[in-house]
Amino acid sequence: MERKHFLKSLLMGAASAPVLLSACGKDTVSPTSSTSSTSGTTGTTGTSGSGSCTVAPTETEGPFPTKTPASYVRSNITDGKTGYALTITITVNNANASCAALAGALVDIWHCDAEGNYSEYGGTGMQATNYQAVHFLRGRQVTNAAGQVTFTSIFPGWYSGRATHIHVHVYSATGTSLKVTQIAFPEGSGTAVAAVNGYAKGLSGYTSNASDNVFSDGVALELATVTGSTTAGFQLSWALAVPA
Amino acid sequence: MPDRTICLCYRKIIDASSTRPWDKLVWDDSYVEFRLQAQNFNPENRYRSFGEILHYMPGAERLHFLVSGAVTGYVQQLSERMPDILNNLGRHFLRFERFQFELINSDLQDQSKHQVAVNFVSAPLHWHDTVGPFLLVSEATAVPAAGEVLTHLVQLQPFLSIYSIQKPESDASANAG
Repeated sequence: MERKHFLKSLLMGAASAPVLLSACGKDTVSPTSSTSSTSGTTGTTGTSGSGSCTVAPTETEGPFPTKTPASYVRSNITDGKTGYALTITITVNNANASCAALAGALVDIWHCDAEGNYSEYGGTGMQATNYQAVHFLRGRQVTNAAGQVTFTSIFPGWYSGRATHIHVHVYSATGTSLKVTQIAFPEGSGTAVAAVNGYAKGLSGYTSNASDNVFSDGVALELATVTGSTTAGFQLSWALAVPA
Repeated sequence: MPDRTICLCYRKIIDASSTRPWDKLVWDDSYVEFRLQAQNFNPENRYRSFGEILHYMPGAERLHFLVSGAVTGYVQQLSERMPDILNNLGRHFLRFERFQFELINSDLQDQSKHQVAVNFVSAPLHWHDTVGPFLLVSEATAVPAAGEVLTHLVQLQPFLSIYSIQKPESDASANAG
């Protein structure tokens, strides 16, 4: 109650009063000074070049915003993207503590969809996007006491020049970057990569781990264990050690 | 003037001087996310400002998108109602479905330099006429009732612009007959 009153008084004091002042005092406010003083932060007091004024808000107050975590913070990152189900389990250990499980670390992952595309701003970078589902196949979780995070996603497709992979960024609980790396997939007959067969575009022109310029220096540490099938879905598990 | 179909864009600037609850949440959370994501483009913590990172690090323009994840939850809370822009009756009236978040300036060690913008793009409007500094518009999806379409007067003002204009399919066929 007190907080609400406080906020209200802030609003009344900081926003509304100048709004009324600048809206009514058009004779004394030059267009340039009022433009620079609003800077779009209040947005309701914009004065046109001719020096005329706009109305102040005259409606029921609201909406009342609530603190919301980044859209990345979720376990299911599919956002309606279709593909073979993939459960991703990542275990983070502390290289500075005999590889004990590291709890409380932030783990970001991102990967491409079945066609090989990432969520990002399109083409020119200036095109506005629909506000829903703009961050598909990107997620963030905090490791539990066992150092584990789990994501529900789809099996990544592939794109020219790269083997199938998932990006991983591990941060400390306070947000300091500890490791940026990528998860590699086993390949060859009998593997999940062979079973998925590159989705619609097949595997013609696919880059193997050995030819991939990220994994070609030895893939042992990045290589995940992947089990399952196209009908039952796949399970990926992978562990890494970070200096924390 | 024949009616034209336009979308308006409102570039909402948010910085250290912003006081309203929604603005402050966006400002604080986008700063936290910027400090996380900037580390993807800042080897050995070489740079301090967003400007430096953008200038020196290839691919750093993706930070606009990457940091926007901190903001989408707040954009959703607006329920597609564009903030701040009022019709001349003093009411919010614009709907938006598209937005783009933009980092303007930031500093990894000084939040007071953090300045961002949310660009809101309105749903399509019919632009019927211009009255002084006002555009006379109606929602493009509005269905006339007995020949009457409800309209709004919206004033041209700083940080509000016409984002796009839809070309008529074919002037010739529209004029024919």
